Amino acid sequence: MRRLAAFLAAFALYINAALAASPPRIVSMNVCSDQLLLSLADPQQILGLSRFSRDAWQSFAADKARRFPMLSGGAEDVLVARPDIVVASLFDKRATRELLKANGLHLVEFSVPRTLDEVRGQIREMGKIVQHPDRAEAAIARLDAAIARARQAATGKHYRVLPLARRGWVSGSDSLVSSLLAEAGLSNPAGELGVAAGGYASLEAIVQLRPDFILVSEAGDRAGDDGRAFLLHPALEHFYPPARRIVLPDRLTVCGGVMLADALDVLTRELQRVAR
Amino acid sequence: MSAQDFTIAAGLAARRRLGATVAMIALAILLMLISLGTGPVRLSPLTVIEALFGGGSDVSQVIVREIRLPRTILAFAIGAILGLSGAALQGLLRNPLASPSLFGAPQSAAFGAVLVIALGVADVRSYALPVAAIIAAFGSVFVLLMIAGRNAGLLILILAGLAISSLAGAATALVMNLASNPFLVLEIAFWLLGSLEDRSFQHVAMALPFIVVGAAILLSQASAFRALTLGEETAQSLGVDVARLRLFVIAGVALGVGGAVAVTGTIGFIGLVAPHLMRPVIGHDPARLLVPSALAGSALLLAADIAVRIIPSTSDIKVGVLTSIIGVPFFLYLIMRERRALGGGVA
Repeated sequence: MRRLAAFLAAFALYINAALAASPPRIVSMNVCSDQLLLSLADPQQILGLSRFSRDAWQSFAADKARRFPMLSGGAEDVLVARPDIVVASLFDKRATRELLKANGLHLVEFSVPRTLDEVRGQIREMGKIVQHPDRAEAAIARLDAAIARARQAATGKHYRVLPLARRGWVSGSDSLVSSLLAEAGLSNPAGELGVAAGGYASLEAIVQLRPDFILVSEAGDRAGDDGRAFLLHPALEHFYPPARRIVLPDRLTVCGGVMLADALDVLTRELQRVAR
Repeated sequence: MSAQDFTIAAGLAARRRLGATVAMIALAILLMLISLGTGPVRLSPLTVIEALFGGGSDVSQVIVREIRLPRTILAFAIGAILGLSGAALQGLLRNPLASPSLFGAPQSAAFGAVLVIALGVADVRSYALPVAAIIAAFGSVFVLLMIAGRNAGLLILILAGLAISSLAGAATALVMNLASNPFLVLEIAFWLLGSLEDRSFQHVAMALPFIVVGAAILLSQASAFRALTLGEETAQSLGVDVARLRLFVIAGVALGVGGAVAVTGTIGFIGLVAPHLMRPVIGHDPARLLVPSALAGSALLLAADIAVRIIPSTSDIKVGVLTSIIGVPFFLYLIMRERRALGGGVA
């Protein structure tokens, strides 16, 4: 028994030493973990990124992602890459995740963050995984500084800002966008439309509610499809011309990570623009 | 029956037709007013009328004039062109089962519109959309009438129509794979279900010119339809160029249906049902049936579009779904009534 314990202790030491010698090599299977990984890991640690990693609409790190292999989304190429750790989202295909686990891969699964505290937790966790906790702390400090700047910009204004997406989708209180607004001291009137947890609102109801500003993900007046045409409806443009629209690109808000600092800075800048 | 009796009977029939037409106009106007008064935001009738003429608060003006008015105009115009197209096709083919949706015209038009969106070449509020929809609708009706030939039986028409709408549906689904737009699945669902929600005057401007031209073409052929009831040869001897008539009807239906589908997606079965509603009152003269069928189509679509706003539901019911739910059982009833003719086609 004692010999076994000694052996285990020695083995643990060996593992630690091996880990210290070569930082873990990682595969990411989700566009959100892609961005956390890209912001915290060394390039040689990244063996592969998700299918959507190069999609500039979803990922703020799309350009950077082009330097790394892109995975198919299935289990095969992950197994072949033989990573030390696989990071994934609980939203990815369960069957694929189970298969990887059954084949002995070390899988770390991230949930979808809803608050900035959860985002800080995820940045810290990824810092631990890539063995660069110092970078994680620096990222969190950047985020906190951006929050402070946004708060200062919105102080005492009590604006009601309605986050409005395609076809009239309103982000509810448990979304990251709402958290960002709340951190900046702004309120989301989704509850008054009866969609406190997120949902579709009718054009008439939005016009009648008359929030101070609407928050949309793109400027411009081209409607590539009908969902986008909703946001350009004359009734909405009547009350919300460009000067009353806060523009916050989706790639800064769909995932939790250090890009939220950029999102907050954009929000601060947009507030200064529209409040003029 | 003496000649005098006959004149009196004809006079009565004419008066009944006029009465029915006036009643349909009144019904359509009433439904338009109800449509202006219906929506997620409750506005009193007085507020609505005030807002319509530019009074009242800014919000109620925008709701009535920018949101509800274009929707109401589109429901009226699109219902009318669908009813008119149905009556014209039924007149051309002398067949009570003919209608744009059974010929795959709306489905094909939706394919044209979806293709433009998928390729991302144009703004959805530009004329590219109706033009693509019209070309696709023209193609489908043209092919169908080619297949059906001169004296098409019911069965051939129904089978060919089924084949064309299946093909259009499959092609639409295939477009999803070509798309660079990540939201296209939802967009396609919209085009297939059909809805008048949140349309604007941009959409009215997009669809109305085509609908008006299509309607004018169909109405101009009224006397030819009447001659056609005597049989194709008799009609020809009366100076009707049947080949040209066909082409006019195809063009009129394609312009109207294509323009309509480009702004609302597919709305089916109005064209089938409307002429049948008016036939018992107006009689079987296809020329006299055109205008009342258009009015009946308007009333049907206006009523359906009011219903989708009143029926309580968690998300919006699409008006195309409602018209199909009413239209398909009606179609089955018609098939049952025409069972003998269909059976004869097989034998």
